Amino acid sequence: MVDLSSIKADEVLDCKGLSCPMPLLKTKKALQKLQSGQILEVWSTDPGSKNDIPNMCKKEGHEFLGMIDEPGYTRYFIKKK
Amino acid sequence: MSFKDTLKELYDAVFRSNYSPITGGILLALLVILLEMWYRPWGIVGGLRNWGEWVLYGIGFLEEAPPHPFWFSSSVLDLGLILGAFLSATLAQEFGIRIPPKLEIIKGIVAGILMGIGSALAQGCNVGGFYMAIANLSASGIAMMLGLMVGVFIGVKYLLWEIEHFSSQGGVEISTKKINPLLGLIALFILFYGIYAYFTSDNENGVKLGGAFLLTAGIGFIMHRSRFCMVNAFREPFLSGEAIMAKGAALSLFLTTLGILFIKMAGIQEADVYVTPTFIWGSLIGGIIFGAAMVVAGGCGSGSLWRVGEGQVKLMIVVVFFSLTNAILRYYLDNVWEIWDKGILGKAVYLPDIFGYGGAFIILAIVILLWYLFVDWNEKTEKFVIGL
Repeated sequence: MVDLSSIKADEVLDCKGLSCPMPLLKTKKALQKLQSGQILEVWSTDPGSKNDIPNMCKKEGHEFLGMIDEPGYTRYFIKKK
Repeated sequence: MSFKDTLKELYDAVFRSNYSPITGGILLALLVILLEMWYRPWGIVGGLRNWGEWVLYGIGFLEEAPPHPFWFSSSVLDLGLILGAFLSATLAQEFGIRIPPKLEIIKGIVAGILMGIGSALAQGCNVGGFYMAIANLSASGIAMMLGLMVGVFIGVKYLLWEIEHFSSQGGVEISTKKINPLLGLIALFILFYGIYAYFTSDNENGVKLGGAFLLTAGIGFIMHRSRFCMVNAFREPFLSGEAIMAKGAALSLFLTTLGILFIKMAGIQEADVYVTPTFIWGSLIGGIIFGAAMVVAGGCGSGSLWRVGEGQVKLMIVVVFFSLTNAILRYYLDNVWEIWDKGILGKAVYLPDIFGYGGAFIILAIVILLWYLFVDWNEKTEKFVIGL
């Protein structure tokens, strides 16, 4: 298991305050711009993201590294395939 | 495992876990059928219009005061739904005031206005104009379903364009995590007090309203727990190909139609309930406008309300503009232009009048089955996916 809090993401995407489907769409868009193996960190406040982001990773083959709850938002870590 | 663990496991399963769209769809159908047996068909827009009319009355646009929101059934249905979603969100620690970036606020205003227009033309949103219209054996429901599909396709095209050209950041959440359990208790108190007040009131509809308040709170709770979203059901086949929500919605619609078929055959509700004079143009055009707008809003009639209960400020903005626009346009359509009697937007077609109950049910079952087969086939082949 990776220690999430020590991860240095290559790109941070701020989706705070956004509602469905924007966090997921923006995450997909941001992943397109990354190189294989790079890590994207997404900040989201939408409860739907807790299912949507891991599901999308599974479907598209990216590695979902995990999430950390912070006060007021959640951080999601994704490694591009 | 101790008894305490068993209770905790049950609590987590009911109040904290997310239900699948299939579970959500089945439970939704059950409550919607109960509601129609108990009192009246489920709906969203009538209540929103009532709230909009109060604003219009307040500024002097309307001369007569609209019915009181606590005693007007359509409004009670919406209050129940929001309260149920709020209860679900607070108990699951998912409630928080989410303030979106500026672009989302503008989208909320524009989408809300268009949803008000679309639902006025179709005399209902995705609930009254599509889901409940089909379930109540009205041809208008099929027309709106086609309209919604076309509109959603346009809406998805817009979203994809937006994501290429704009990037909006800077939203915030005002976290209420520490007080969510308290807010949940307050919601429970309002729910039980409301039911008690309705059941013990002198109003001739008091008992019926009390039951409707409880049932729609159940609907809001279930929709929130399963994140049951008809925007998702129509949008994802185009955006990602995913069909699970569409399948949940199709199953739900089939069960509700079957249930209400019996309700209407048994004469529990009048035949013409929810059969609107909008076939085909009102439902089709209204459906296209509403469909495109609900994708931009990120919530349909019911989905916007349960997201209000979760604290999404964008959807609160949507609901405000949706309510006001619907109230204004319906005022002109109903009272000034008297459009319904002229039949410009279509006529009321109650399918059993033409095909009998059996024929009507078979036609609607085929429509729903085709929808299911389409999204399933599309999920495998991705023929209609226009995603990123």
